[in-house]
Amino acid sequence: MEFFTVNDIKKAFTNGEVREEILKGINISLKKGEITALVGASGSGKSTLLTIAAGLQPASEGQILFEGKNINAMNQEQIRKIRANKFGFVFQFAHLVPFLTVEEQLILMLDVSETKLTKQEQKREVNRILKLVGMDHRKKAYPSSLSGGEKQRVAFARAIIHKPMVLFADEPTASLDSKKSKEMMTLIRELTKTLNITTLMVTHDEEMLSYVDHIIKMSDGLILQTDESTAVHQVIS
Amino acid sequence: MSLAWKEMKKNKIRFLILGSIVFLISLLTFMISGLANGLSHDNAALIKDLPNGQFYMNEDADETYNLSRIDSNLQEKWLNGQEDAAALSIQMGFLNDKNEKQQSVAFVTSTESKWFENVKPGEVVLDRSMEDKGIKAGDVLTNNQFSGEFVVKGFVDQKKFSHAPVAFINIENYKEMYRVEEMQLIYVPGQDKAQEADGLQSFSKKQFLETIPSYSAEQMSLNMIVWFLVVISGMLFAIFFYMMNVQKIGLYGILKAIGLKTSALFKMMWTQMIFITGIALVLSAALSQGFNMIAPDGMPFTLTLETTIILSMVFLIIGFIGATLSGIQIKKIEPLQAIQQGEV
Ligand SMILES: Nc1ncnc2c1ncn2[C@@H]1O[C@H](COP(=O)(O)OP(=O)(O)OP(=O)(O)O)[C@@H](O)[C@H]1O
Ligand SMILES: [Mg+2]
Repeated sequence: MEFFTVNDIKKAFTNGEVREEILKGINISLKKGEITALVGASGSGKSTLLTIAAGLQPASEGQILFEGKNINAMNQEQIRKIRANKFGFVFQFAHLVPFLTVEEQLILMLDVSETKLTKQEQKREVNRILKLVGMDHRKKAYPSSLSGGEKQRVAFARAIIHKPMVLFADEPTASLDSKKSKEMMTLIRELTKTLNITTLMVTHDEEMLSYVDHIIKMSDGLILQTDESTAVHQVIS
Repeated sequence: MSLAWKEMKKNKIRFLILGSIVFLISLLTFMISGLANGLSHDNAALIKDLPNGQFYMNEDADETYNLSRIDSNLQEKWLNGQEDAAALSIQMGFLNDKNEKQQSVAFVTSTESKWFENVKPGEVVLDRSMEDKGIKAGDVLTNNQFSGEFVVKGFVDQKKFSHAPVAFINIENYKEMYRVEEMQLIYVPGQDKAQEADGLQSFSKKQFLETIPSYSAEQMSLNMIVWFLVVISGMLFAIFFYMMNVQKIGLYGILKAIGLKTSALFKMMWTQMIFITGIALVLSAALSQGFNMIAPDGMPFTLTLETTIILSMVFLIIGFIGATLSGIQIKKIEPLQAIQQGEV
């Protein structure tokens, strides 16, 4: 089922006199519960497309249809609500809130997303997710005392704790070494599948492509080709 | 979950520094304002401490109490029936102590009234600051224009006129010294409406103070000092809150990206601002009030609780406006900025 489509999206930036078209008419659609990867040369417009799809910046033209509504035509407050309740984000850096413990990061997300849970239920949910990402032993730790991989796992936990429908990930493994990257991708794949979360991610790393369902190759603001991936499922043990 | 509180708990040092700055600046303002008020009080405490009422002097005295001569029949007529009203005169002059040293004083004499010291001929009651000059009760003082001697009968607190300590003397002695029969002023306490008649001109307490040479000029300078301080301190507050917010642009961006409302961010900022400023103001107010009580006698320092509260309110309001103005950038922050900025 296609419930998230990007229709003829264009984006131009003006730098002084020069107007540069970064996205030149992009069409993609995401399938429920599947992972789609955006690949392409640096500067081809992957991050721009991802952030537009996630409602973090507007497109110059075109539509982002989510549950039948055009995100690109919504006002700030409507977009904020969707971001808080229906979307999750992971980026190259974890972007954790420096003065909150691991546990508090997740509780904050639950508060923001208006999931109507009691304090007790929140705690239980936080424990459950932290166990899933293998961080339950660092519940009380502040971000400054976590390693890069641990931070990224917490960021991922924060991105999915409110049960979003779509997860946006921009190079989520870029700050991790090869071994940690694989662990992270395994985690993303495993959890988005169990929670039936649809994922759009950008990656540079060829190795990561074996974990995704679809690959969209971009070049110079256009889609070059779309592939079914040879996704492997054996990684999950 | 209170983000405001969590952040302050984690970044104690940063908020402590901010609080100390607010504390020091407000303490400075309170102290300077206390000194300024003290100076102003020192100038004319004799008059300032009187209850509100009306002062009368001759219309043709050109608003100068020194030139006023009130006819004694008129004086009788005006004092008649007015409780606690008094006719009084003030002259700057000197008293010689037993070492023949000249002490400058303001001679004050009046008809009988509870608002002024009434002394017998040959006696004098002095402002307590004269004690610091080595004068004791029972000392004998002289004056070049006076044939007799003044015996110091006692001291009273906070009686100053034109920065000089007041010396209360008897009317008869005064008349001899200054060779006048008439008094300069009539003071009617509690009267808030002037009754101008018989060639007398009326002055409210405030208006009368302004006829004292140098008083209004001095007052203006002192007020300027205090208000400049308040305005500059307010700006400093605003700048510090601004810098704090600039440092947190990345954080605000992330919070916005995960879906926090802008209003929640403002609430967070306001809570912190009011908490920090509140504590700092309470501390500096307490300290300056404490100083008010222990300030040495020689140092004119007057800081009423009322002034402290008004200044505190002004600081809170300015701080609030400063924080809010600098918070307007919060509204402008794009979550994307924070994400592209990299790690915070
Ligand atoms: N806010 C902006 N203003 C001007 N130009 C921008 C802006 N954001 C992106 N661009 C330009 O758009 C182009 C595409 O950027 P984008 O970040 O989408 O590339 P990318 O495919 O994600 O590259 P990378 O793989 O290096 O992350 C780049 O040339 C970039 O300079
Ligand atoms: Mg990119």
